[in-house]
Amino acid sequence: MDLNYTPEDIAFRKQVRTWLEQNLPKQEIRTLEDRRAWHRKLYDAGYLGMGWPKEYGGGGARPMQQAIVADEMAQANAPAPTNSLGLGIVGPTIVVHGTDAQKRRYLKKILSAEELWCQLYSEPNAGSDLAALRTSAVDQGDHFLVNGQKIWTSGGSIADWGLLLARTDPKVSKHKGITCFLMNMRQPGVDVRPLKQITGSSEFSEVFMTNARVEKGDQIGKLGEGWGIAQTTLGYERGGRALARVTTYSSQFHRLTEAAKRLRRHGKPLFEDPVVRQKLGRIWSEVEVERYQALRTLTLLERGEHPGAGGSLTKLSYSEFEKRFMELALEILGPYGQLTEGAPEDFKLQIDTAVGDHGSWAYAYLWSRAGTIYAGSSEIQKNVIGERILGLPKETRADRVGGKA
Amino acid sequence: MNFSFSDDQILLKNSVRAALDEQCKPAHVRSMSEDPIGYSDQLWGEMAKLGWLGLPFPEEQGGAGLGLVELALVIEEMGRAAYPGPFFATVVLGGLGLMLGGSAAQKDKWLSAIAAGKARATAALLEEHLDWDPAATAATAAKSGAGWTLSGLKRFVPWAHAADVVLVPARSPEGLSLFLVDPKSAGVTLKPMIGIDLANRWSEMRLDKVAVGAEAILGRPGTAGPLLDSLLRRAAVMSSAEMLGAARRCLDMSVEYVKVRDQFGQPIGSFQAIRHRCAEMLLEAENAHAAVYYASWALTAGAEDAAVASSICKAYVSDAARKVCGDAIQVHGGIGFTWEYDLHLYMKRAKGLEPLYGDTEYHRELIVRHVAAAK
Ligand SMILES: Cc1cc2nc3c(=O)[nH]c(=O)nc-3n(C[C@H](O)[C@H](O)[C@H](O)COP(=O)(O)OP(=O)(O)OC[C@H]3O[C@@H](n4cnc5c(N)ncnc54)[C@H](O)[C@@H]3O)c2cc1C
Repeated sequence: MDLNYTPEDIAFRKQVRTWLEQNLPKQEIRTLEDRRAWHRKLYDAGYLGMGWPKEYGGGGARPMQQAIVADEMAQANAPAPTNSLGLGIVGPTIVVHGTDAQKRRYLKKILSAEELWCQLYSEPNAGSDLAALRTSAVDQGDHFLVNGQKIWTSGGSIADWGLLLARTDPKVSKHKGITCFLMNMRQPGVDVRPLKQITGSSEFSEVFMTNARVEKGDQIGKLGEGWGIAQTTLGYERGGRALARVTTYSSQFHRLTEAAKRLRRHGKPLFEDPVVRQKLGRIWSEVEVERYQALRTLTLLERGEHPGAGGSLTKLSYSEFEKRFMELALEILGPYGQLTEGAPEDFKLQIDTAVGDHGSWAYAYLWSRAGTIYAGSSEIQKNVIGERILGLPKETRADRVGGKA
Repeated sequence: MNFSFSDDQILLKNSVRAALDEQCKPAHVRSMSEDPIGYSDQLWGEMAKLGWLGLPFPEEQGGAGLGLVELALVIEEMGRAAYPGPFFATVVLGGLGLMLGGSAAQKDKWLSAIAAGKARATAALLEEHLDWDPAATAATAAKSGAGWTLSGLKRFVPWAHAADVVLVPARSPEGLSLFLVDPKSAGVTLKPMIGIDLANRWSEMRLDKVAVGAEAILGRPGTAGPLLDSLLRRAAVMSSAEMLGAARRCLDMSVEYVKVRDQFGQPIGSFQAIRHRCAEMLLEAENAHAAVYYASWALTAGAEDAAVASSICKAYVSDAARKVCGDAIQVHGGIGFTWEYDLHLYMKRAKGLEPLYGDTEYHRELIVRHVAAAK
């Protein structure tokens, strides 16, 4: 075991840092176009799609290098690139399961943010129970006709394309009749209606599909094998992002301790209050343990292994941690913490929100509630961990009666 | 000993719930959230007519002469409805403050006007560093003729923009004193502070040499400390009642939802993970109920442990409400994260009140001081 970074990695980090110093946007990013421009700049510098195959516009880089870039970006408080679902989920799915033609057609445009993507999985009655989805795709010979409704589609309102799960065979057991597609969102049969979130912003949408068209060539994987593909996409626990996430936590943490020096309780700075110190100490150890775990995940990825169900542990760990962290932050900041407007400078948090504008501590607090729900809720992660890692007996569930999967 | 409500108290609770169910629906909360003033005058008039605005005040000032248990019952219902308006600011902060420290003339003037629905009040208890200890007050009151001039910065003054009078603690040459200030006076500037609960309003209040007359002081100069202590205790317990109401609404919505939301071919309420969570939510809500009503009774009755009971109440209920409301979002899944679904109205009410009138740590310190002194 050697937890030092190699000299090459150290040199690479320096190079990334210098690039960021010289290239970070000087002005606040306001429009989608600003964000696309920033995205392109990152891509041109070789900092996006770093691990994707070179022949499709990727960089063929090692996971550690990807992690270093993400980490340096977090350190520099750099704005996020725009095509997060394209980069995080859709691209990797196409890389693993796509045909050569699909790779040539789509990957480069994801990397350059020429085409933005969303993920069309959840439905009103199929959330945790994703395999209960009902949106249908009917074979019309040269194309599929899609009808149904999706919900909670992040980035739906700006997406050009969507990664779709639809039922192609209603007669087989529910996990078997699902197929995965790439669907053009800019067609008459697709109606996107933004939904407002608890945070007040609109990051997700409802998507209605009425006789929407999907080309035959845009089917991913084999007919009826969409469930397995969805499982692997959901498993793209971006291990490389883990380090960056921790860096974001630590800069937020330092912001919080600065505020604790300015606030007072019973006439003394909060930061000198032993109780507050204990709590800050505990949270900081949690941040650091998250960092150690991120390094462990990176080690696996560097060896070319996949964390598999271990991704559930990572996700459960950081999403639950994030809630505790934000609860502590708001507790320490008192009424300042939950202000969205009118907070004095010292007590503000300036973060890049999911839709790109500047967020407050209150926003970060509310957003932390989502992490234990999306991409498989904490309850579902615990079920997965129990069954697949610990090998515990499966829960008795109505949909499993009769020995069906 | 009897820890249950009397028939009159139940009647009061039911009538408040019925009125708010009718007049303070989620649509009302939402529309007031976007309103520049933020509350309905018509509902205010209604509340005056129903006697809620004078509930704890003496009968000679147009009040009903009831205690804090009754007031908590009303406020719990307001939390349940996420009522938008200056009820708490007026009746608890302004009204109870005047009741505790006002002269006969001040009470005659203000309490009867409040009870009749003609005046709104509030108090400016917090400053820049957010220390709830009244001893930390930094605003100043300099002698000027028969009166004073007040200067300082106050933050999180609830509903100051709607108030006719604000109780303002400031340091005069004699020590900590409490003044009645008209927020429309020269030298007062108000700036909105917007929090996650859009239905609850605060202002930053800057006082720049604001002149007040001799009649503006509450009690004698230099004696406001104990008065502010008592007021803070009452505000802590009454805000706990409001958090309790909000948390119960979240609990009720959750229990209803998990019975009807099917996943994996059965109601999610049948999964142990969800069932246990709901059971814990109920446990916290019931404990919070006990803490609120014990403290409300103790303060009204002047029980020996009233002070510590109020701290226990605020510390316990803050934690409980946070857990119940947070869990409610979790068991709702994606729908709980949307603006259109009403859950967040109540969750945000509780979250917004949690750090006010002494947060959990502040009150826990007071609890430990009490325990240490009792030995
Ligand atoms: C901010 C946000 C962004 C999202 N973005 C996308 C997106 O881009 N694309 C997309 O397709 N989807 C997206 N989603 C949807 C997300 O994946 C679902 O919300 C999630 O899978 C939960 O499903 P549900 O909302 O239907 O909740 P439900 O499945 O109804 O769950 C409700 C509650 O029941 C619990 N529960 C369910 N089953 C069990 C069980 N067997 N045992 C124990 N507890 C159980 C859950 O944990 C939860 O607490 C997003 C959601 C959010 C909140």
